[in-house]
Amino acid sequence: MTFLQPEILWALPLVALPVIIHLLNRLRHRPRAWAAMQFLRAANRSSTSHAKIKQWLILLFRTLAVLALVLFVARPLAGGWIGWALSPAPDAILIVLDRSPSMESKTVGGSATKRELALARLSEAARQFGESSHLILIENALREPQQIAGASALAGLSTTRPSDAAADLPAMLQTAFQWLVDNQAGASEIWIASDLQGSNWLPNDERWQSLVAQFEALPQPVRFRLLAFNEAEEANASISLNELARQTRSNRPELDLSFDIRRSDSGEETVIPIAVNVDGGGSQVEATLDGQSLRWRQRVGVAPESRGGWGSATLPDDGNSTDNTAYFVYGSDSEYSAVVVSSDDANARFFRFAAASRKDGKFNPARQVSQNEAATTDWETDSLIVWQASLPKGETAARVRRFVEEGGSAFFFPLTADDSGSFEGFSWGELEAAEDDETFTIESWDESEGPLSKTEEGLRLPLNELEAIKRRSFLGGEAVLAAYEDGRTFLSRKTIGRGQIYFCGTLPSDEWSTLGDGFSLVPMLRRAMREGGRRLNRETMLECGRLNAVDRAKAWTSVDSPEPKNILSQAGVYRNGDRIIAVNRPESEDDRTVMDADSATALFGDLSMKLWEEARSREDRSQGEIWRLVLSAMLAFLLLEAFLILPDSRPRGTAKEAIKS
Amino acid sequence: MVGRLMRQPLVTRLPMEGSVSGMHKSPHRGSSVEFAEYREYVPGDDLRRLDWRVFARSDRFYMKEFEADTNLRCHLVLDCSASMNFTGENTNRLDFAKRMAASLAYLAIQQGDAAGLNCIGGAKPFEIPARRNPAHLQIILDALEAAKPKGETKLTDILHELAEKIRRRALVVVISDFFCDIDELLSCLQHLRFQKHDLAVFQLLDPMELEFQFPRPVRFDDLEGPDSLVTEPAMIRDRYLEEINGFLDRLQQGCHEFAADYRRVTLDQDLEKVLSDFLTERAKAMSVSPV
Repeated sequence: MTFLQPEILWALPLVALPVIIHLLNRLRHRPRAWAAMQFLRAANRSSTSHAKIKQWLILLFRTLAVLALVLFVARPLAGGWIGWALSPAPDAILIVLDRSPSMESKTVGGSATKRELALARLSEAARQFGESSHLILIENALREPQQIAGASALAGLSTTRPSDAAADLPAMLQTAFQWLVDNQAGASEIWIASDLQGSNWLPNDERWQSLVAQFEALPQPVRFRLLAFNEAEEANASISLNELARQTRSNRPELDLSFDIRRSDSGEETVIPIAVNVDGGGSQVEATLDGQSLRWRQRVGVAPESRGGWGSATLPDDGNSTDNTAYFVYGSDSEYSAVVVSSDDANARFFRFAAASRKDGKFNPARQVSQNEAATTDWETDSLIVWQASLPKGETAARVRRFVEEGGSAFFFPLTADDSGSFEGFSWGELEAAEDDETFTIESWDESEGPLSKTEEGLRLPLNELEAIKRRSFLGGEAVLAAYEDGRTFLSRKTIGRGQIYFCGTLPSDEWSTLGDGFSLVPMLRRAMREGGRRLNRETMLECGRLNAVDRAKAWTSVDSPEPKNILSQAGVYRNGDRIIAVNRPESEDDRTVMDADSATALFGDLSMKLWEEARSREDRSQGEIWRLVLSAMLAFLLLEAFLILPDSRPRGTAKEAIKS
Repeated sequence: MVGRLMRQPLVTRLPMEGSVSGMHKSPHRGSSVEFAEYREYVPGDDLRRLDWRVFARSDRFYMKEFEADTNLRCHLVLDCSASMNFTGENTNRLDFAKRMAASLAYLAIQQGDAAGLNCIGGAKPFEIPARRNPAHLQIILDALEAAKPKGETKLTDILHELAEKIRRRALVVVISDFFCDIDELLSCLQHLRFQKHDLAVFQLLDPMELEFQFPRPVRFDDLEGPDSLVTEPAMIRDRYLEEINGFLDRLQQGCHEFAADYRRVTLDQDLEKVLSDFLTERAKAMSVSPV
């Protein structure tokens, strides 16, 4: 038998209390001179055995009542048939509902979304426990436990409607765990309804291990049931904003918009009509999608006098209606700047000019700081860090990481000297020099997207003309963007948060390569700068569910829709006073990589996890709370004790009454 | 109180044998004014009591007999054993008994009867013979005042002795708690009745002894010995009441069988009322069915 509050068991010595009181009472006897001893002795003699048994029984029942009281407060759990028989329903059912945009997809041939299907099945299952169990809803947008009145109310709640916030399953389960701890719930079940989207479940997240350990350490049994919707979906296309920049060209302000369009089917070339709306004015544009994804660039003119506004791009309705619109807001002309962290002036000079900013029509080379200054320098308004120094450590590394997470770009170049440090999985290797009269050349690079992609006019960067005499190998990165002829990596990228880290294996100085010619270095860094401009929009372009606590407290009104919207759970454009922000579903939601059910259940380790379809077994219900039994036992003991100490109800008058009669 | 009680004389339910004339019936036929019976003349009878009128009418000799009145010898037997020293909520049992004995002695002597006192047990057992002398009352009262409770009850032995010792018919009033062996007690009461004594038995009991209500454990110290008993009264109350009620019932039944006047008195009762009832009922019994 286990207990939900085992510390109460320290009170077990209290069971001796009735015996102690009894003994003290015996010691507190009063002396009494007595004449009728012959009757007293006779009564004592004849009633000794009976009275003693009665007395011991009374003591026993009192002791057992106290014992039952202590056990009741300690909330015992019993397994096997007892637990099942006495606690057929869990004390609490926590419904962990994924209502992220991906849950709005329809299964093939179906008319209802995954979320609607999930709600229907959850309601049906919860109906049998509605009277006996607490129903708690934890959904991904607000992630606040909400007690619901009954299973039938589930579908009607605003917190079960579609949301544009991503689901963070580890965080939702952590909320569930905290609720169990805070409310000292008894035997509980956690029902998870999700499409097993990888970006929601984060199977490689370190939190899973601690979560499993925490749930295993709980005194009460917690069982998990997974309602998975990872089957095939109806054809769907999604759109998300990649970049937004306002540029004035020939005195005409324009918005350079870059959208990522993805589709689930890898079918033929398709022309997709896209409704682009800027400041209420709409236009229909067509994009040709060949393959599964497309980075679609669009330039839209805005009124010269406009100091800011908002807009959206919308795809036609398809298998998922929540990922068809991307919202944006813009301000005045975008200005990007960079900071170069280097003590190597020869190479830093190339970086400073390549990443120069343009302000008031003049080019200003990027500022250069030393590695020591990098720990404190203000890069609040910068969008790019060019790092040619020892890899950052400690607090500086954290600052750089934060910069990237906010959307900034960080470009790392090698040192002439060896560096044994590492940063975000990257580390520099050996310095290699080409043999005499030979150079390292680039053979392949990613021309579709990234800093080495083709120009807007469709022209290729002349990377094949780049010749490197020296290069430094490196490890790390998620995607190789360019590689040498011998297969070694020239440029690699890793995404952290909203931004990217790039590692390039050579330097622009003449001793190293022809990178300093600028044909590749300049577009590479300028594109990274522009990409990092997302960081500067972090106050106005938010992911749904990422609103900070200060902004959460403010009253936001929807700009893009006449209907009221909730900024915490719905994408759109919102206004608070003069401030206007665009809220979009997280990009990760467009990554429809899903896990299989076995992989999802494996994340729960040894915890009791069953798929929804698996039949409930007796074992499932083991370790039920048996406080009702203990409470009943306590009452029974008290009743028995009361019965034993009741005066005899038989009509037996005293001798005095006999005299009077 | 005694003045009020004197309105009702102390009478016996049985004929008494006294040495002087008094207000009580005598077993002997005498010359009082109260007609008793006729009986045929036998030689030797006093011719003065021959009823000539009956002879004239029936030509037979009949003797006219009258009731003889005599005085009363009242022997008060007071139990002075240690158990009489019980004090309940208010009254000490021996004090109550002393007042009762003193009242009865006063009543007897005041109406010209003889009163004596036997103090059984106690520090100094004593016996005061029954006398009519008014000065004798003071002796009894002084003896009562000096009586101290002590020792075990030897009531039955003394009562047997008394039964033999009192030769003439007398009123024997025993005042005690009678906490002794019931068979022996009934035996000696029977003995007294066998000697033709009018027997009145006052059993003095405290309400506490009859109710046995104690909320907490009590150590009962025996008044007549060194023993003590620690017990939870609530646990044995039923059995105790069964025991004491059985004893009282047997005593009452026994007295009824021997025609002894049994009176159970609780110490919270009013003494005047107890004695008044005693006197009244005896007088009533006399007038209704003279024995």
